[in-house]
Amino acid sequence: MTIPNESAKNAMKPSGSVLFFRTFFPYQLYRFVRINLRMLGMILKGHQ
Amino acid sequence: MSRVVVLGAGISGHTAALVLRRKLPRDHEVVVVSPNRQWNWIPSNIWVGVGRMTKADVTFELKPVYDRKGIAFYQARAVALHPEGKAESSKPFVAIESTEPGQEGVKAEISYDFLINATGPKLNFAATPGLGPAANSLSVCTAEHAEQTAIVLAAAIERMRKGEALTFVVGTGHGVCTCEGAAFEYIFNLEFEIRRAGVRDKARIVMLTNEAELGDFGVDGLQLRRGGYVIGSKPFAESLFVERGVEWITGAHVQKVAPNLVSYETLDGETHSLAFDFAMLLPPFTGVGLKAFDAAGVDLSSELFAPNQFMKVDADYTAKPYEDWKAADWPSTYQCPKYANIFAVGIAFAPPHQISRPRKTRNGTLIAPAPPRTGMPSGVMGKTVALSIVDFITKGADSPLHRASMSHMGAACVASAGNSFVRGSAASMTMYPVVPDYDRFPELGRDLRFTTGEIGTAGHWIKRILHTLFIYKAKARLGWWLIPE
Repeated sequence: MTIPNESAKNAMKPSGSVLFFRTFFPYQLYRFVRINLRMLGMILKGHQ
Repeated sequence: MSRVVVLGAGISGHTAALVLRRKLPRDHEVVVVSPNRQWNWIPSNIWVGVGRMTKADVTFELKPVYDRKGIAFYQARAVALHPEGKAESSKPFVAIESTEPGQEGVKAEISYDFLINATGPKLNFAATPGLGPAANSLSVCTAEHAEQTAIVLAAAIERMRKGEALTFVVGTGHGVCTCEGAAFEYIFNLEFEIRRAGVRDKARIVMLTNEAELGDFGVDGLQLRRGGYVIGSKPFAESLFVERGVEWITGAHVQKVAPNLVSYETLDGETHSLAFDFAMLLPPFTGVGLKAFDAAGVDLSSELFAPNQFMKVDADYTAKPYEDWKAADWPSTYQCPKYANIFAVGIAFAPPHQISRPRKTRNGTLIAPAPPRTGMPSGVMGKTVALSIVDFITKGADSPLHRASMSHMGAACVASAGNSFVRGSAASMTMYPVVPDYDRFPELGRDLRFTTGEIGTAGHWIKRILHTLFIYKAKARLGWWLIPE
């Protein structure tokens, strides 16, 4: 409820490799396809 | 010949109008009444608010689209419903007041056979003293607000370039706000732009939110499979805040926004204040204040509308404790219980209760994120109601209603965290269902196979593509109806 120095200290922090892959073009291209397929499944479920 | 009147031309109302026009024979009339002459793709307003897009990029004129499709358009505000007509005629009608330049305030009556209330929210800045662009804080709720916010941000960046250290506060301006996702998007886009300008070391950035925990988003958070575990959205969201060096204050009800100073109460009942140089705080929503009258002129508003002025539909509005709330309480047809030819969709319908657990401070102040009902669910509702009305008109009044409960509906949400094709990112989230259903999914309320989240540049590409795709759809270009809501 307050500015949480303690919470921030205990929060998950992404590792260097996670940060790298977040913007690594070939991996993101793969994720782009996967996320779109997942969202398509969700949209089809939502439109039943 | 039947006439269907749609009040509002946001995502749900505009979708309903286009579906009605496409499905109904031409001898039936579709009429849209909206106080705004432009359609706005609101999810991209956050990019206008950081100067990466302009108002022209996220809006277009409605009338040319409606003229092309054969939909009548009135630039006007709906003032009152008369579902039983008046003494001299039992034909239902809606009273409107023009907002067209040069015609402001001119009154008219439009009769209807079916009515869809898609009026959206009133941005209730007045709920918090000093809140809003007319007072001491900024907003990205409309394209105009977002443009104004971008100008102030650009000036703040200039001040930091000259060496000043500034404090930026972004979040919710009241304890019962909704759209925490928009605040989440804006704060990370703001952080991204400040970093891009090379002055990140001069900026203290603070999220001030009514969510009890980060990642709640007004939907009681999400559970996700990650690294062999099922984790809540709290650590997922917190990790982004820590990574970007953004501070957070949760469970906050903003009491007052003075020039450069925001006062707020937290769940422990304590009152705090925070000095700022730039504050973008979202307002709470209420209904637009539509009234309703019977043929004799007796006010029916309390029968048709909840106290927050949203319209009651086929939901279970019985007051009960949070633990007793059920997914089945949520509406599925959006039909008005008293008048079968009236429906309410999008933000205009009254939710039966919050999705996120409501809390009170020790002083009794309610801090309860309101349920989001925008974007994809809003479009699905508009289409569902339009199809019900089409069946009523073409197949008869005993046709079964189409259904789309938020407790059986999934949602895909892409929350931008920086606008750049190469270095940008967004959190891509899906959830099913939007309203947790503990009868079908006893452990977590949602289906983990369809409830996911990840951050990356791919999310930014998707959000940018959705921007183009949904504006194309809203302009009713060739094949628009093939693009799902």
